[in-house]
Amino acid sequence: MLTYDTYHMPTTLEEALTIWAASPEGSRLVSGATDILPWAREGRAGDVHLPELVDVTRISELNGYAFENGRVRLGANTVYQDFLTDRVLMRNLPCMPYCAIWFADDQIREQASLTGNLVNASPVADGTPAVVALNGEIELARLENGEIARRRIAVVDFIEGPGRTQIARDEIATAVILDTASGYGGSFQKVGQRRSLVISVACCAALVKADHTGRIFEDVRLALGGVGPRPIRMYDAERALRGETISHALIDKVARSAAELVGSRSRQDYRREVVVNFVRAALQDALADQSDVEIKFQDTREQAHV
Amino acid sequence: MSKLKIEAEVNGRKITRETEPHKRLLDFLRDDLNLTGTKEGCGAGECGTCSVFVDGKLVKSCLMPVAKASGARIETIEGLATPGELTPMQRAFHKTGASQCGYCIPGMVMAATSALRENPAADIEEIKERLGGNICRCTGYTKIFEAVEMARSVIAGDLPETVLEEDKVGDSYIGANVRRLDAPAKVSGRLKYAADMKLPDMLQMQVLRSPHAHARILSIDTSEAEAMDGVACVITSDDVPGTDGFGVFVHDQPIMARGKVRHVGEAVAAVAAEDLVTARRALSKIKVEYEELPGLFDPEDALKPGAPVIHDYAPGNVVKHIPVRKGDIDAGFAAADIVLEDDFSTQQVEHAYLEPEAGIAYVDPDDVVVVISPSQNITHHRHMLAEIIAKPINKVRFIMSPVGGGFGGKEDMIYQGMLALAAMKTHRPVQLNFTREESLIASAKRHPSRVHYKMGLKWNGRITAIEFNMLSDGGAYGMSSEGVMRKAAILSCGPYEVDNLKVDTTAVYTNNTPSGAFRTFGGMQAQFATESMMDMAAEALDMDPFEIRRLNMMKIGAKTHTQQTLETASLDRVLDAAETASRWETGAPNVRGAKRGDLNGPDTRKPCTLGARIKAETKSKNDAERVA
Ligand SMILES: Cc1cc2nc3c(=O)[nH]c(=O)nc-3n(C[C@H](O)[C@H](O)[C@H](O)COP(=O)(O)OP(=O)(O)OC[C@H]3O[C@@H](n4cnc5c(N)ncnc54)[C@H](O)[C@@H]3O)c2cc1C
Ligand code: FES
Ligand code: FES
Repeated sequence: MLTYDTYHMPTTLEEALTIWAASPEGSRLVSGATDILPWAREGRAGDVHLPELVDVTRISELNGYAFENGRVRLGANTVYQDFLTDRVLMRNLPCMPYCAIWFADDQIREQASLTGNLVNASPVADGTPAVVALNGEIELARLENGEIARRRIAVVDFIEGPGRTQIARDEIATAVILDTASGYGGSFQKVGQRRSLVISVACCAALVKADHTGRIFEDVRLALGGVGPRPIRMYDAERALRGETISHALIDKVARSAAELVGSRSRQDYRREVVVNFVRAALQDALADQSDVEIKFQDTREQAHV
Repeated sequence: MSKLKIEAEVNGRKITRETEPHKRLLDFLRDDLNLTGTKEGCGAGECGTCSVFVDGKLVKSCLMPVAKASGARIETIEGLATPGELTPMQRAFHKTGASQCGYCIPGMVMAATSALRENPAADIEEIKERLGGNICRCTGYTKIFEAVEMARSVIAGDLPETVLEEDKVGDSYIGANVRRLDAPAKVSGRLKYAADMKLPDMLQMQVLRSPHAHARILSIDTSEAEAMDGVACVITSDDVPGTDGFGVFVHDQPIMARGKVRHVGEAVAAVAAEDLVTARRALSKIKVEYEELPGLFDPEDALKPGAPVIHDYAPGNVVKHIPVRKGDIDAGFAAADIVLEDDFSTQQVEHAYLEPEAGIAYVDPDDVVVVISPSQNITHHRHMLAEIIAKPINKVRFIMSPVGGGFGGKEDMIYQGMLALAAMKTHRPVQLNFTREESLIASAKRHPSRVHYKMGLKWNGRITAIEFNMLSDGGAYGMSSEGVMRKAAILSCGPYEVDNLKVDTTAVYTNNTPSGAFRTFGGMQAQFATESMMDMAAEALDMDPFEIRRLNMMKIGAKTHTQQTLETASLDRVLDAAETASRWETGAPNVRGAKRGDLNGPDTRKPCTLGARIKAETKSKNDAERVA
């Protein structure tokens, strides 16, 4: 059971940063509360009493999104359901709807923020690989001599390990900045125990852009979650595909190489097998998701397996 | 703790309330506004029973700090229809029979309502997807999905409203859609389960549970907890006035641990306080000194000579052994052409009814101790409690509240005694609502069991003899073990006529969570072994699995394992129906290759896919672009 003395709901960033900097040790920021509330239960942290909670969801500066130089800056109040209801986001971030549809359920997605997911830094957070594939950065703000100072860090570096990030005690995450990838096909693979409400055992996000002939990989982005303490961007695999002819044989070859990336100690053989299949499926699904180009594989799937 | 002022619109009415800042929206709705149609099935976002609309969006109120609701427009199950009315969705749930225990149903109706508000034309795949955050343990999902599709079509005008009306029942109720009398109360959230009930001046109870599997209790110091402001009483086994002990067969379990604890999660002490937070804080002030004892965690170890003894009355750790003998087992095996032997094991299973255990006790003006709870066995509980609290039977009353799913798991009197003691000690009503975690840790489970199986057969497939030996982990207390072992023995060799058999089922004590009643009551574990063995025998003899079953099945006049002569038998018809329904290809179980026609047929559940709405969105986008 979570108890606390005070629950703040600041409406401006400055007010929030002031309250946050002054809050007693042990206080927490809260967005959707979908990580914090279940954490304070038997079997996990148990009964927890915190001095103050500072809720960020009414800070107007953290709402909405804006485009800037081929990137989109998502306010920290962006929740997972937005990736399923906002057409502009769906088109520009093609892997996010698939990531979102596998994330928790409709109710939780209305509350759960992408930012909270990243700051919580679970090794099996679904948002992390998708964000990493989109070259995501997180924006952090703090008060310096009464002025709001901001910095941006790449999410691959921001997440240091399970529950550990580079956020400082007096900072609030204000935005997540992602590449726009309109024209790419996107996909997301996840294994868990059931369809809804599952935490991933492993997950994989992919973005693929074929050239106008549908025969060449023009660009590929691949990232893995749940296979190590930090998210993994598969740069080698991307390089092996970029500029090459699209074929099942090549996809298989690249997929097999992914097994090496599995670092998690638990269920390692299982995770290796899953990851190979994931990378293959992620690439195939992302190719199929590309709406304006018809993909022409060089070989048939049967040929690839001989 | 300073109070928090909440101003909001709830079900169309403006409300202003002061409340504790740490409350969740769920607590605020249930405790402060008495809107108990919104349930707490898990408190952790996993079950969906707490779903409500906040500013038009469906959320899980167990994951929402109440402050977030201030200034918001909230809609709960109570607000969907005007009093006395039901929405088309609620009527469709009533019509299709989509409510059994009903505990999940308000949340289901909310999720279904949300699904159609988001997309009035949602197809079945999208409906399934949008109800993915809600769990049901008894209705199953088919009727629920049927109801949502029916409501969708009625709202869209594709089906007449008359489909929501009661079907006429012809000559027979069998096969007819007979409406549940209590469904309107369930689909509207009006039915009060034990946790929904409130009595004036009621205290909240919390239970201190053992962290050890097997330990002697050296001392319990409750003084600090008792001295706390807001604590009305602390109880331990010392407060039991009568003969302590309950159980479905053997009364081996004290109301709270007496002298020692036998499993992790066993109740050691309980606090009744003015509110839940105080009760929980008081638990942390109770000091218990334990001396750990060697534990037993494997039923085979429990039978070894020199094993730790868990109950003094049972030095060999056996809860119950049930033998069944028929014919001449040696002759049966001697007559066999082939003897198969194997081992089968099944695991512990939690019932996971959506309603966690809950109850209220009070002492009425005539000194009658009254316990309200979703007990599956109130008469037996009443008799046991009378002994435990040393009262004549007319001074003990049990009221059965609606059971939000039991499946056997609410047969054991694991908390009603504590409630009664606290009510007697304080003369105030006392309520205890388990958390989901507490329900998991403290309630009985399905017996994990191991079966050693030996089956003799003729080359033609006729069984000549069976030796069936089941060892079950009864856990720390007897509960329903005896009955479960009896049922497992009676059903052991399945619906097959076996002339020579030797069956032994044994449940033993261990320091695991107690095992108890669970749907099939031992039958499932036995049938898993027997039916697996039948398939393996068919394979060994190159026979069709239906054929070997028909050859051995009990027919009219057959003698059961316990030597009752059957006057009716229907296995032949069951096998015919199963064979047709499964589109079975005749042949031994191991000869099917790639061409299996019995797989992936029209009524087979397809593998999971998500994203119906993304596809719908992409399609509408393409259509829109084409139009433009
Ligand atoms: C039933 C259930 C199912 C779930 N399923 C999934 C799933 O499928 N995939 C998955 O990845 N996760 C899942 N989760 C976990 C959780 O929903 C996500 O991690 C979610 O994105 C967290 O976001 P939030 O806004 O609710 O975070 P909160 O709980 O509010 O906060 C999480 C952490 O982030 C910090 N924080 C929040 N906002 C800020 C900010 N602006 N600046 C700095 N720090 C901040 C908080 O202090 C806290 O440490 C599930 C949770 C539940 C209960
Ligand atoms: S999801 Fe809220 S009580 Fe289960
Ligand atoms: S009717 Fe759904 S849980 Fe009982």
